[in-house]
Amino acid sequence: MSGTGGTSRTERVLAPIPFRRLLVVETRKLADTRSGKIMIAVLAALVLAGVVGRGFVTDPKLQTLAFTAGMPIATLMPVLAILAVTGEWSHRTALTTFTLEPRRGRVLVAKYVPAVTAALAASLLAALVAVPATAAVAAVRGVPAIWEMNPLALLGWTGTNVLMVAMGLALGTLLLNAPAAIVVYLVNPMLWSVVGRLGDTGETLAGWLDLNATVAPLVTGDMTGGGAARLAVSAVLWIVVPMAAGAVRVARKEVG
Amino acid sequence: MIEFNHVSKTYKGVKALDDVSFAVGPGSVTGFLGPNGAGKSTALRILLGLSRATSGSATVLGRPYGELDRPAARVGALLDADAQHPGRTGREVLTLAATVLGLPGTRVEEVLDLVGLTGRESRRTVGGYSLGMRQRLGIAQALLGDPEVLVLDEPANGLDPQGIRWLRGLIRDLAASGRAVLLSSHLLHEVEQVADHIVMIGRGRVLAQGTAAELGRDRGLEETFIELTTHADRGAA
Repeated sequence: MSGTGGTSRTERVLAPIPFRRLLVVETRKLADTRSGKIMIAVLAALVLAGVVGRGFVTDPKLQTLAFTAGMPIATLMPVLAILAVTGEWSHRTALTTFTLEPRRGRVLVAKYVPAVTAALAASLLAALVAVPATAAVAAVRGVPAIWEMNPLALLGWTGTNVLMVAMGLALGTLLLNAPAAIVVYLVNPMLWSVVGRLGDTGETLAGWLDLNATVAPLVTGDMTGGGAARLAVSAVLWIVVPMAAGAVRVARKEVG
Repeated sequence: MIEFNHVSKTYKGVKALDDVSFAVGPGSVTGFLGPNGAGKSTALRILLGLSRATSGSATVLGRPYGELDRPAARVGALLDADAQHPGRTGREVLTLAATVLGLPGTRVEEVLDLVGLTGRESRRTVGGYSLGMRQRLGIAQALLGDPEVLVLDEPANGLDPQGIRWLRGLIRDLAASGRAVLLSSHLLHEVEQVADHIVMIGRGRVLAQGTAAELGRDRGLEETFIELTTHADRGAA
């Protein structure tokens, strides 16, 4: 036996890689680089700063503070999702990733699941952070806290965060380039607000295709049948189509 | 254990590989020798399923790489030492790969030891590594699963003289223990010292193959290499 060390020989069972392991690894990759750690620290700092800042000027209302805490999450989580997908290409670590698991579709799904889970967890966390913040604001200002929270609104807001992260994942997969995907993601709402002002046709178009606008009834809690149809159409355009096209692109792409 | 069967690759109208055929058997080192841009890396990427052949096929352990279960545990590869996230530590890079392969954390320590990266170095981010350290990290990653086949693309780049000597010993050991090693390089000297078999490639075509003695019989190995690769360049120009 050479100096290569042979301990793993005993482990040579030829079974495919369990999906669970890919999940563990891709989850870990969200936070194991310097930039990932900085992103998460910035996110946590913004959540705290937002809650504390808002606490000075608003009534101790749980729902208001929860949405305030959630604002940086809703803005930055899609960017984190974009980086999770595109990072493999900008740093060319796809060479290693797809050598370890040649079935590229499994790797993509293993990247999507933790990003969506993180969006859910962060939304829940925002609501939790708001609880002591509400109590503190009430105590400091000497006014009674308002604990009422519309569970549907919270659910709708969480759903919105998940959809925005999904859009980030879809754009990242399609473009495989972080700056391009982030620009498209951020410019998108501005673009639609311009389109929305271009007469009746523009307004109709924006009403059906602007995902940022069609998710609004989720948060306000007044989703109608028409609203659901608009949401579905815009979600297909910004999530389903780019994700499917991106998956095909990743499957075929030459890794170099 | 590695087989290229009439592999051709056309990329954007340019023939990157043209009817490449050769095989690597167990317990031997095959040197894949050719000037920069000859198509070595393209061939290795096709072998590992990262790029598709336009025609022909490349197999490892009798099957296309992508059809092996847990292929990286059987085929270790160093393709490009620079293809690392600069903000990730060396130890983390190995831990991620070990996790995918289901190997214990102790295996990470073993390969770090084996390639001579210290504990302190392993906890630094790869962005601060010298090329030599990145090569050692890449070699450690290739050896993680204790594979039967090793594919090393220019592993000596950036290594200091001690490192090159160490690498030579490592490659000989790997072959002596029955493994198949495919070593690509543009440096004749590096290849002829360890390779049992040499495949010379230029402009995407296999120009000659055989043992160092066979290839150097007429004019000496270096003359043969220069002559063949120069001729290939002219022929294609």
